[in-house]
Amino acid sequence: MFIEAAKVSDLAPGGMLGVKLNGAELVICNYDGKFYAVSRKCGHAGAYLERGTLTGYILTCPLHYAQFDIITGEALSGPVPEAPAVKYPDPAAPDLATRGLRTYPVRIEGDTITVDVYSV
Amino acid sequence: MNVEAGKKALRFQFAPLVDKLGYKFNPAEEDVEFLLEAEVTFQRQYGIPYCPCQARTRDRAGNMKIVCPCIPFHREHYDAMKRCWCGLFVHKDVTDPSALKQIPPDKFVKSES
Repeated sequence: MFIEAAKVSDLAPGGMLGVKLNGAELVICNYDGKFYAVSRKCGHAGAYLERGTLTGYILTCPLHYAQFDIITGEALSGPVPEAPAVKYPDPAAPDLATRGLRTYPVRIEGDTITVDVYSV
Repeated sequence: MNVEAGKKALRFQFAPLVDKLGYKFNPAEEDVEFLLEAEVTFQRQYGIPYCPCQARTRDRAGNMKIVCPCIPFHREHYDAMKRCWCGLFVHKDVTDPSALKQIPPDKFVKSES
């Protein structure tokens, strides 16, 4: 069931918007005029991803720069270890793990962006 | 994190950066795939896509100068070779990358200016 999430005019190309829809938290992204919705929190430290940056289809987390593909939700790279005194000597340590984002179907109806938050 | 998606993402991010620096991806596609795969591996291991062909040391500031694309930190040297050190990028006017030779840093003479 598609639910209204935002207006098309709310998001310029390259923009992101964090929304709560029926208990689900997600980020709507505008990539070259096409809209995508992914889960809102990074799987590492739970940062709100709309506070990061969107470079094309690549979303970068604001806290530790993990990167995600907004089309597939896949994690492209993990969080970067802290510098210069590396707190985590092993970047593959469980503390630095993140996971892919859940993606949601998006439909444009007139000037409204709707998202199906119940899709599996 | 799969390698192919990682390589595609690096291509997507690097292309506009090196374009502004006067470089392009090496037309030798096999080499590019090999080098990008190595960078994706580094990104997994260290969180950062270091140059696959330059050694890292304990000097973090020095290591930051070999994060791909490292062209701005070695501009004069790479411009003289018309390629970056590993050959992932070449000057835009290069059509035959196999003709390009590496000049070791200790053999490269910087201009006076």
